[in-house]
Amino acid sequence: MEGMIAIWQRDVMKFFKDRARLFGSMTMPILLLIVFGVGMGGSMESLMQNVAGGDLDFNYVAFIFPGIVSMTLLMTSVFSSLSIIQDRDFGYMREILVSPVSRVSIALGKMLGSATVAVMQGLLLFLLMPLLGVTIDLVSFFVLLPVMFLLACAFASLGLLIASVISSTQAFQLVVNAIVMPMIFLSGALFPLNNMPAWIDVLVTLNPVTYGVDLMKHIMIDVDQLSREVYVEMGLDLDFFGIPVTPLGEVLFIIGFTAVLIVLATLSFSRANR
Amino acid sequence: MIEVKELRKSFKSFEAVKGSSFTVEEGEIFGFLGPNGAGKSTTINILSTMLKLTSGEVKINGYDVTKQKNKVRESIGIIFQENTLDEKLTAKENLMLHCKLYRVPKKSRKARIDEVLAIVDLTDNLNQTVEKFSGGMKRRLEIARGLLHYPKVLFLDEPSVGLDPQTRAHIWEYILKLKEKENMTMFLTTHYLDEAEISDRIAIMDHGEIIALDTPKRLKAQLGGDVIELQTTDNQAAIQEINEKFSVIEATLHEEGITLKVKNSDEFVSTFMKQLETPVTGLDIRKPTLNDVFLSMTGREIRD
Repeated sequence: MEGMIAIWQRDVMKFFKDRARLFGSMTMPILLLIVFGVGMGGSMESLMQNVAGGDLDFNYVAFIFPGIVSMTLLMTSVFSSLSIIQDRDFGYMREILVSPVSRVSIALGKMLGSATVAVMQGLLLFLLMPLLGVTIDLVSFFVLLPVMFLLACAFASLGLLIASVISSTQAFQLVVNAIVMPMIFLSGALFPLNNMPAWIDVLVTLNPVTYGVDLMKHIMIDVDQLSREVYVEMGLDLDFFGIPVTPLGEVLFIIGFTAVLIVLATLSFSRANR
Repeated sequence: MIEVKELRKSFKSFEAVKGSSFTVEEGEIFGFLGPNGAGKSTTINILSTMLKLTSGEVKINGYDVTKQKNKVRESIGIIFQENTLDEKLTAKENLMLHCKLYRVPKKSRKARIDEVLAIVDLTDNLNQTVEKFSGGMKRRLEIARGLLHYPKVLFLDEPSVGLDPQTRAHIWEYILKLKEKENMTMFLTTHYLDEAEISDRIAIMDHGEIIALDTPKRLKAQLGGDVIELQTTDNQAAIQEINEKFSVIEATLHEEGITLKVKNSDEFVSTFMKQLETPVTGLDIRKPTLNDVFLSMTGREIRD
């Protein structure tokens, strides 16, 4: 248990020491907020006016914001977990692996560390809210926190599994292009996914990011105030192969996803043969 | 303290360790030598639970390395060949993490950190980032870290590689200080054969097998006689002449000259100098070193 906490602490400690990373990783989300939020905002808003057929108080950025936060969680968690590869290259992983800390604790410690870093990174984006005209009340904020953490854990365990499969830092970019980016684009994080071809629909349905984004949107956006048409048009009425999706279902799906990946990552750590 | 019985390890079709057996007693410094690729690293990795053995039995501090991995891990400390410190953290943070990973009781952590830092003379660098340390300081910190949890067995895998001679001497001073104080068992691999002299016993491994195991003194005695390093104007001719005229145990030609092994150097040299026709340009008589032992056992220099 203490070993797990130590591994967790180490990642958080290192995050605070690396200020360049802290701010460097903020540029991408901010860029996307501008491109998708402000750039696409105008046309999306007039489109929604047409759908709703009249006056509508609709801020597209508010839709994008939860998506961008989830994206930040995904990117940061996956990359933090990939730091295992660096640990391997710089030797520190050996220090951890020869210690009597159980392999599950190593995987969980690493996951919690990455997830904590990701949540902190995600929360930094909240500082931009006043500039974007996005608001959140305190109650929603405290509901949102555990959801963000759960989501970050899911992504961190994905990163762990990837790290155990690939062996070099050079493969980073490949991973981003092949896994992380598609997960973002096929989640509805940046734009609503409606009327997609069936095969893409399957990918969207199986993508855990979809549910994370959806959960966050439901918490952060006042959905009751939206008309049915806008609700559907913005892709907020998800279904899982025909079954309507509930928040509880989404949470369970993400937990299941995390559990499976953590088990797999632990197995890869227990392999004595490296 | 360490019991190895019929240890075998194969990587696919390649057999890296071919049934070696040995025991290391408590408080002993055990030198483990061999040319590169002899199976040394494989053996160390198995002993430290980093690698699965193919067959055989290995016990450390009475615990089986395959069945009681965590017990073994608690009993050992390892100073790796490569640096395994977290350079972004301070010395203190590195040591504290180690305490937590090895479940050092909370109350004694601070005292132990102070204690091990004092042994390696790094007390003043407690709050410095490891990145800023010199190579020797990093090594010392790593040694300190390996001691934090009072391991029964300390594995030292090339502990002084890449360090300047002065720092090397210091490191050994620390290691010997420790051994005196804690009666720790030490398992040592090194490329520097003069360093291996401090071992109580030495095992030489080659091609996955242990080909010699004894005290440094007896290993050298086994060679018998003395060593004469000889340089002449024509080494090729000289070696031929030597083989024809004199009775030597062994005469080998190498780049720098000829190495002769003789029973009694005093008697030999007086007649030798009179009778050898090839002009001698240099002559050096010495007692055999571990290097000579190594060379005659493996047919190779350790650094090849």
